[in-house]
Amino acid sequence: MARTVDPYRFTTPGTKRVAQAWIRREPPHDVPWTPLAKPLSECVVALVSSGAIAMRSDRPFDQEGERRDPWWGDPSHRVLPRTATANDVAVYHLHVDVSHTERDLNCMLPLERLLDLEREGIVGRSAPSHYSFQGYLLDAREFLATSVPAMIRSMKSEGVDLALLVPV
Amino acid sequence: MGLAQASIEAAGIPTVSLSLIWELTRSAGAPRIAAIEYPMGRPFGAAGDAAGQRNVLRAALEAAAAAKTPGEVAHLPFEWPASLADAQQEPKEPPPVMQLIARQPAMFLKLLTGTFPRRS
Repeated sequence: MARTVDPYRFTTPGTKRVAQAWIRREPPHDVPWTPLAKPLSECVVALVSSGAIAMRSDRPFDQEGERRDPWWGDPSHRVLPRTATANDVAVYHLHVDVSHTERDLNCMLPLERLLDLEREGIVGRSAPSHYSFQGYLLDAREFLATSVPAMIRSMKSEGVDLALLVPV
Repeated sequence: MGLAQASIEAAGIPTVSLSLIWELTRSAGAPRIAAIEYPMGRPFGAAGDAAGQRNVLRAALEAAAAAKTPGEVAHLPFEWPASLADAQQEPKEPPPVMQLIARQPAMFLKLLTGTFPRRS
């Protein structure tokens, strides 16, 4: 029999209460739909992680700002090249245990696994650029107004056919 | 994340999310969701488990290719391979908002209801 995923099996009771309260508060949305234009084996694929992952050479996500004002989260985003590995990045999310991803980036952002699927011909290509932002955003207005359009422009310029978004 | 996904989709790029709390992702209008029963912080699986990570990634992408209906949720069949105790690890430093709530328990209601101070 097909399973139904229990969203709260591994969460704390507090996280479950918060998630369920937010779900009840969410207004109804129109669900957009863009059909896939080609088979997976021809698609350029981009990954997006909400894990607040940045290249070590790039600007860190602003953890101090959130420590000063716990209702605030850094609304910016970062670009990571398709060849990035754990040695190249730092993980700045303050709400999850990031130690696993610090050892192995593929726990949150499986760039090496996407290259595996590219070699196997299961996907067409891993896009040149992939993306991360900091997912604790109680007020997402600036993120939606600035970071999301920038990611969309970048994906379009690189001919992305399918984006995989991964909340942490 | 669901709002970002809906924005990208609406801009003409097909999207899928690999989601732990899939009800939350769905409530924001995400068009395609692959749900997985894995711990927070490790949606693709354990560090070093390359075969497992590959299988989850492939399943999420194939769920995108198979989806027919806006808002569709594909429940992936993967079982977390390690112990429950291992899966329930929290960050060593509690998140700032949880530290605030520990000092001022009434703040939890603000988190639940969204009635916290916003920067203009």
